[in-house]
Amino acid sequence: MSSKNTTNVKRQLPPCRSACPAHVNVQAYVALIQKGKFREAVEIIRKDMPFPAICGRVCFSPCEDACARSNVDQAVAIRALKRMVADVEREQGRVKAEPIQKKHSEKVAIIGAGPAGLTAAYELAKLGYEVTVFERMSELGGMMRYCIPDFRLEKFVVANEIAYIKDLGVEIKTGTEFGRDISIESLHKDGYRAIFLAIGAQLGMKLNVPGEDLNGVMNAVDFLRAIALEEHVNIGEKVAVVGGGNSAIDAARTVKKRGAKEVIILYRRSREEMPALPHEVELAEKDGVKFYFLVAPKQIIGKNGKVKAIECLRMRLGEPDESGRRRPVPISFSEHQYEVDMVIPALGQIAEVSCIPPELWDKESRAPSMKVDPLTLETKIPGVFAGGDVATGPASIIEAVGAGKRAAVSIHLYLTGQDLRSGRDEDIEETTWVKNWGSVNKKERRYEPPIEKPHLSFEEAAKYLEKIKRKAMFEAFRCLSCGPCAECLANIDLCEGDKAVVNESLCIGCNVCAVVCPFGAIKKNENGVAQVNEDLCKGCGICAARCPQRAITMKKLTDEQIVSLALATAGGK
Amino acid sequence: MEDYEPKITCFMCNFAFCQEETEVPPNVNVARVNCIGRMDPLLILEMFEKGADAVILVGCKPPDCHFIEGNLQAEVTVKMLKKLVMLIGVEPERLKLVCYSPTGRKSFSRHLEEFSDKTRKLAVSPLKSVSPESHLLLDISAAKDVVADFRLRVLLGRERELTESANVYGEKIPLEEFDKILDEIVEAEFIRHKIHVLTKAKPLSVKALAEKVELRPALVLKHIVNMRRKNMLTVDHVEGQTPFYKALEVK
Repeated sequence: MSSKNTTNVKRQLPPCRSACPAHVNVQAYVALIQKGKFREAVEIIRKDMPFPAICGRVCFSPCEDACARSNVDQAVAIRALKRMVADVEREQGRVKAEPIQKKHSEKVAIIGAGPAGLTAAYELAKLGYEVTVFERMSELGGMMRYCIPDFRLEKFVVANEIAYIKDLGVEIKTGTEFGRDISIESLHKDGYRAIFLAIGAQLGMKLNVPGEDLNGVMNAVDFLRAIALEEHVNIGEKVAVVGGGNSAIDAARTVKKRGAKEVIILYRRSREEMPALPHEVELAEKDGVKFYFLVAPKQIIGKNGKVKAIECLRMRLGEPDESGRRRPVPISFSEHQYEVDMVIPALGQIAEVSCIPPELWDKESRAPSMKVDPLTLETKIPGVFAGGDVATGPASIIEAVGAGKRAAVSIHLYLTGQDLRSGRDEDIEETTWVKNWGSVNKKERRYEPPIEKPHLSFEEAAKYLEKIKRKAMFEAFRCLSCGPCAECLANIDLCEGDKAVVNESLCIGCNVCAVVCPFGAIKKNENGVAQVNEDLCKGCGICAARCPQRAITMKKLTDEQIVSLALATAGGK
Repeated sequence: MEDYEPKITCFMCNFAFCQEETEVPPNVNVARVNCIGRMDPLLILEMFEKGADAVILVGCKPPDCHFIEGNLQAEVTVKMLKKLVMLIGVEPERLKLVCYSPTGRKSFSRHLEEFSDKTRKLAVSPLKSVSPESHLLLDISAAKDVVADFRLRVLLGRERELTESANVYGEKIPLEEFDKILDEIVEAEFIRHKIHVLTKAKPLSVKALAEKVELRPALVLKHIVNMRRKNMLTVDHVEGQTPFYKALEVK
């Protein structure tokens, strides 16, 4: 970035939250789950993003990779916990979201109802803007709705989360295609002051081998979309899926479940380099999908215009390329054939930029995409923003959510006439108090994500729910809550992010507070007086209880308040 | 004492607290605090003074403390207070720390009921109705001074540091030895603060003080020498050969 700004707030966040592209307050909702406050936990997630149930199912959970607990044993099952609370809420009946009062007169258009577009709509609606989402397809959700199969992400789950956004008062226009029905000019004419292009990456990449136009070759995205639309698809007896990403696994599992006798996945690198989630790979193997590693297709052989076989070359791994993975190198004269009657290339997606004015294209990038500022998501045209897969290339839901949030901030700043680079909290510092991992007690992860709910009677179901709730609480207790105060506001009446305050005239600099503080949040400064670092202080009040001079008090819960609480709640609460 | 219902004050950690388990016996007052380590020993004594028959502290089960060692800090506080209340003449059973987990087997209300039953077996707290002449009045105010005392609080704060790592000389103190030191300090400070409270009202001689605190005059003198060094006491006047001591305001 050329213009350096100093207005950015440096936030100290725990590893899970700083690793999440949407910065979901993981520590807070896990703390709430510990206390059995499941509904409040969902509300905390919704503060940062609108898809708790979706991400609880299919997120690639960078939070778990970052989790500090993995230094001791294994990461906390964050994704499973998120799914759990979202499911409990849905089953008990979600509270209908109230439409949000419009505070601004400006209208915002959002193109594409995928995770990025919907998140931006959600955030802008919460800020009080009049938002319209334009979607080409008949149903909302984008890739979440059309390209993730039902057994991984149920359609009603997607519909439920989107209904929440609709309830907030977001207007939605389906069946409207950008470039055909609407354009930047027409939207400007209709009074939309800001436009967010989040059309995603919808086109499946081609294999670029001879025989790709044969009958029986169908791209993974097209295939999954056709299945989601309940169109008729001829499923072969023996199917080869080419690729190693999540959509390859999804396509393979879908054809297998739809009756293919034999499904093989051909991947040009080895298992370690597969971008698909390891858990998904295991499930595919359980479903009976076979994996062939270090093979790449050379051509598809047809007979009477139909696929008959796929010819492949064996590969070996060479030097690492720019993605950090080892580059596959073909071994000459290693051609061999697999007899198949259907080939599904799943090599990833590219953006369909033909509908977008060419001046907004990113001409330097290899794949077609749009050129945007990575921080503000601005394009060359003022008031037009773009983000998500269309700008970054195919990524994940949570990254799209992060882009949607960033776009919403930018649009708000743009419409209120502020500097687009100010007031952003992108400047994040990872913080944990744990210094000695050996001192943390081990507690193995035993929580498994709920896979399928058994059929139960009414009473049994209540008991079952109690059981899984308890299990989730147990798992949540594995969280070290290693960051600073999560501001979960678990006890709004009491906590509200209590902080220690030092009465400097009483302090004699004995340093007892620094000794007792579990988080190193209070220290003697150069004047020999204790000083509180408010970012690190979690408000436990141990220092206040130990201060020999009684110089430390708490902001919210003072000693006098504790006494009056103890005397006031006569008869129990 | 059959039909007496003990009045119990319960301090509970916010994080051990679970919304669904709020069935509390009617004789228990629950006050939630952010962490059980927050409990200043002074506040607990104050509860006894204000007529609680018993005080129960509910913290999280180790190692689940949200603030890592708040429950361990509470443990030290309770250990010290039990010794102190014994010196006043209150049964140490009236004070209890429970490590509780919402996922555990025993429910919160079960804990409270059990404690309630145990307290019922004891008589009404001797501190409940203190006559103005009673020596208890002196004892309580001395005890409150003790827990507010610098020396004791520093020791409490450093307990875990001293017994688990080491002091500045690299010495690690075994827990038993620490407990012995704590015992001695609690006892000594209790007597000193009693002397302090007594002499605050009017100047007294060693002999008179020895009678009031029920100790040998030689021992009282030893404490007095110590207290003078710490600027807690001074000689007010001398009657014949006998010096009379007066308390100084402790800063």
